[in-house]
Amino acid sequence: MTPTAGPSAADLDVSFLAMVGDWRRGGAGCDDAGFDAHARALFVHQVERNEPYARYAESCGFTLARQPRTWREIPAVPSSAFKDATLATFDVARAELEFHTSGTTADRVGKHFVERAELYDASLAAGFDRFMLADRPKLRFLNLVPNPRHNKRSSLGYMVGHVSLLCGDGRAAYFVEDDAIDVAGFLLAFEDAVREAAPVGMTGTAFAFAGLLDALDERKKSFAAPPGSRIMETGGFKGRARVVAQDELYRRLEAALGIPQTSVVAEYGMTELLSQYYDSVESRSSPTRIKAAPPWLRTLVVDNAGREVAPGEIGTLRHFDLANRSSVVAVQTEDRGYAAQGGIVLLGRDVDAPPRGCSLGAEDLART
Amino acid sequence: MWTRRHAAVRSAPKILRERKAAQIVDEIAGAAERWSDAAFPPRVRATRAAMERLAYTEPVVDYALDRLFGAITRDALRATIEGELGSLDALDDFVPRKGRPDVRYAGLDLVTIISSDTTIGVAIPPLVFAACAKSKVIVKDRNDRLVAAFVETLIAQRQEFGEAIAVETWNGHADPRAVAHLSRSDAVVAFGGPEALRAIRAHCKPDARFIPFGHRASVGYIGRESLANEERARETATGAARDALLYDGEGCLSLHALFVERDGAVEAESFAALLSVAFDAVANEFPGDFGARAPAVAAYREAAHFRASQGRGKVGGGVVTPHLIVVDPPRDELPPLLPRTLAVYTVEKPADAAAFLRHHALPLEGFAIAPGARPAVVALGVEAGAVRIARLGTLQAPVLTGEHGGVGRILPFVRAISREG
Repeated sequence: MTPTAGPSAADLDVSFLAMVGDWRRGGAGCDDAGFDAHARALFVHQVERNEPYARYAESCGFTLARQPRTWREIPAVPSSAFKDATLATFDVARAELEFHTSGTTADRVGKHFVERAELYDASLAAGFDRFMLADRPKLRFLNLVPNPRHNKRSSLGYMVGHVSLLCGDGRAAYFVEDDAIDVAGFLLAFEDAVREAAPVGMTGTAFAFAGLLDALDERKKSFAAPPGSRIMETGGFKGRARVVAQDELYRRLEAALGIPQTSVVAEYGMTELLSQYYDSVESRSSPTRIKAAPPWLRTLVVDNAGREVAPGEIGTLRHFDLANRSSVVAVQTEDRGYAAQGGIVLLGRDVDAPPRGCSLGAEDLART
Repeated sequence: MWTRRHAAVRSAPKILRERKAAQIVDEIAGAAERWSDAAFPPRVRATRAAMERLAYTEPVVDYALDRLFGAITRDALRATIEGELGSLDALDDFVPRKGRPDVRYAGLDLVTIISSDTTIGVAIPPLVFAACAKSKVIVKDRNDRLVAAFVETLIAQRQEFGEAIAVETWNGHADPRAVAHLSRSDAVVAFGGPEALRAIRAHCKPDARFIPFGHRASVGYIGRESLANEERARETATGAARDALLYDGEGCLSLHALFVERDGAVEAESFAALLSVAFDAVANEFPGDFGARAPAVAAYREAAHFRASQGRGKVGGGVVTPHLIVVDPPRDELPPLLPRTLAVYTVEKPADAAAFLRHHALPLEGFAIAPGARPAVVALGVEAGAVRIARLGTLQAPVLTGEHGGVGRILPFVRAISREG
């Protein structure tokens, strides 16, 4: 597809980075009009350069000649589309980053190609800073994720590696390898941090934390983490047979590690997005945590026909991420939630699906 | 109920084991006949309870109960028992066999049946055959009273059933009472998902017979001979629609994937269009919707829509009635296994379907074929591991005289005693 007169990548990137910079300095980052204009510019840019997306947009009734009137109308690709097509506005041989989704029921994985790492770096650092490090500590990062050096295709690994480097005390460590937790290594590192009164920043999936807690229980170990320590938990239990309720997990984390539940923060991100949601600071002590995001990430809650639902009504989440300049700006997820207090409440995927009948579900097959 | 009936037994012992199998068969068939009447008050109450519990429409629950009780006839029970044991009388005494020792079949002392709370009356056929075997039976039922109400009808027919059968509420495998029953049972029939089955099995005594009915799926295959003309294709589509839509496509005998051969007189894509029309027609007979799985169906539809926009596969349906037909979804993914959703895979030959099924190791219950299917198609069903091969349109109506889940109906509940010399 020949590029036409739409906005250039360079112009869009300059505009986006300015938005991020403004927000980091305490500004608004972007207002409604700014978000709308940038999102629609991205739509034009992506339709011009991203052929699979252009075909999809056309099937939804939108072309360069018939453009969305607002960002809300921009066609959102289902997240599974990253498995079915190369959704990129550039020659992916030049991709500075390439992230893969974790495979579950299909042999193919979704691939998210990122033309400029700087956009992701800027977006994730700004969000992490605001929601995880508002009090500006230097943390010792003890990460329950694989070392990103060993798995360059994990967007979570990249994110954790980046913030550990940027915001850490230089002694970050990783304790997951081949899906197993190096408990002994973690204990040594944690005990060091306690001895040195170095606040720790722990990151990992809920599943990994549950595994660590089981291991600590077995060893009858519990700690009082240095003040200022915190946890970023992400990823839930997707694809795992074992599920632990979030409140139970947080309660056990507090009991075993001495990190208050209000310092355990759930991050919500996806390989297909370059920006993330976090539990808002204000909601961390309330029973219902509300996810907040930087202003360049917005979400519509839609019904099964794709129509926006009223605030408070449960629906499916459709994200618009202005950091996704080189792929697609709008991604339709299967995650359920509702809009609340300027953010979203995340409910997961199976909140409203009690079983019926005796047929096999994909989950059953995975567990058989 | 168990305790109360035991008290009755002590004062006036009437033992099922002392009755002839033929009498038991007749009495069970008599009770089932009463339940075949849609106006029979206990059935009316059971219908309402099932609708409330499962959110199926009345025609669907009525169909299920008609199929269930209409099948439990004297002839069907006798034919099944005679087919499996050689003779109904072998449940009462030794019977001669040609070229083999005389045999008698004694019912196992205690059979426990753990019902499923996601289906309608699934515990009743094994209960009936365990009773024919003269075993004591405990049915652990879920929260409606269908099985209990049927047993009450049996007891009204003959008091001895009260001594032999108890229906209790299932409170999970960790319930001490359930553990006690499981650990004493000689045979345990259990319906449920893999985790529930594993947990139940762990409580059984080591030499107990464990008859698990796990979650499974069903598929169908349409050879090009069945697409020889539009009329035949239309009939085939109607059968497929019935199999896919009944019980909202959430039963193990629901049609979840359909393999359609290319290059028939009616091409696979045209057949998919006929399917959609047939879905709308069948939905009038058995109305329903996507229910709580609607978001998952919407997500699957969107993914199919994206692929279709890239020239890969087609997606259709759902304009008049809620259903989704996806033609040629990715072969490296499982069929969707979603309500009222059918994946149609166009294939060249049965080997293509065999490769798909082998790749996904899909545990198959039923394999649907069109009338006059060629032997290679039937062979595919056998090779794919199906335990039932049926004509399209009848997939959801298994006969009582057939096996269930690949095992006999009464054989699991009896011990064979051969008398030599």
